[in-house]
Amino acid sequence: MVIPILGLLAGLALGLLVSFQVPLTYVKYSAIAILAAVDTLLGGVRAQCEGRFDLRVFLSGFVVNTLFAAGLTALGDLLGLDIYLGAVVAFSIRIFNNIGFIRRDLLGLVWKTPPLEAGET
Amino acid sequence: MTPRSVFAGRRWQLALTAAALVVGFVLAVQVRTERLIETNLQVTSGRLGEVAYRYRQVEARQAALRGRLAELRREIADEEQQAAAGRAATEALAADLARMRVLSGLTPVHGPGVLVMIADSTRPLKPGEDPNLVLIHYSDVHAVVATLFAAGAEAVAVNDERVVGTTGIACVGTTILCNTRRLAPPYRIEAIGDPHALAAAAMAQGGILDELRAFQFPVTVTVESDVRLSAYTGTFVHQFARPVDAGR
Repeated sequence: MVIPILGLLAGLALGLLVSFQVPLTYVKYSAIAILAAVDTLLGGVRAQCEGRFDLRVFLSGFVVNTLFAAGLTALGDLLGLDIYLGAVVAFSIRIFNNIGFIRRDLLGLVWKTPPLEAGET
Repeated sequence: MTPRSVFAGRRWQLALTAAALVVGFVLAVQVRTERLIETNLQVTSGRLGEVAYRYRQVEARQAALRGRLAELRREIADEEQQAAAGRAATEALAADLARMRVLSGLTPVHGPGVLVMIADSTRPLKPGEDPNLVLIHYSDVHAVVATLFAAGAEAVAVNDERVVGTTGIACVGTTILCNTRRLAPPYRIEAIGDPHALAAAAMAQGGILDELRAFQFPVTVTVESDVRLSAYTGTFVHQFARPVDAGR
């Protein structure tokens, strides 16, 4: 668990040090893509907690979710419709869900709490 | 199972680390970009479209103003050119006018020339002789003036009366009329022009002065280095004469 966190920190440090900037036209899309990527990241952690982590699912989800979120936002811009709001809501809910599951799983690992019941986070 | 053992899978660790690295990097860049937008434009990236719209509007207005500016500059240049042309025309007119004034005798002038003095003869009349034979007539004065003009005189005056285009030299009773002034002998005819040409013409054999001298009138011709003539003081009236249109 420590190594991925170190990777995250290293990525943050790299991003702050490098003077690369997102082109202004794509700022909106990259923000949504980040949301999707964070969601997938948490999904990966949760899957590992539940012992059903699949590398192919994780990587394909990481790439496809990210691209699809950005693509959806772009489509919304083409239509003059704020479709990205849908992506924001969906990914936010999923992120909260994932965090809830991870919390449960970790608590269960430490204190042997009973398995999660449906509908409860 | 402990958390340590749950997260011990190598493939998982590798994959998640790589993904986390990417996310961290993009996140940092995104945050930095967003902060940059906020500090520079004072809006969030969500309102960038609005900013772009305003920017395009301002740019269009600026382009329009730039065009107007260029137009105004051109107008100024045109006006300046016209003004310069007008000034040149005015200067030409003024020069023309000055020349015309000199030629028409409206300005006092001076220059080299000759002075011709003629007077009535002083010889006593023989008994029964016509007194007209010892008097200077208007035709004599007129002949001298005409001779001088013919010799290239540019300005002529008789007894300080400028001879201009409308000057007539006529006989009124016992005196000579030049312009509107009555002349009394001796007659002082001054002319500006090439002094030698004027003197030569005046003293030419068979000329008017030669003839007057033959009849024993006192005649003198002197070359003057600086003759001063006053301006014509009369009026130019043209009541009947009308300019002929150039086209006809």
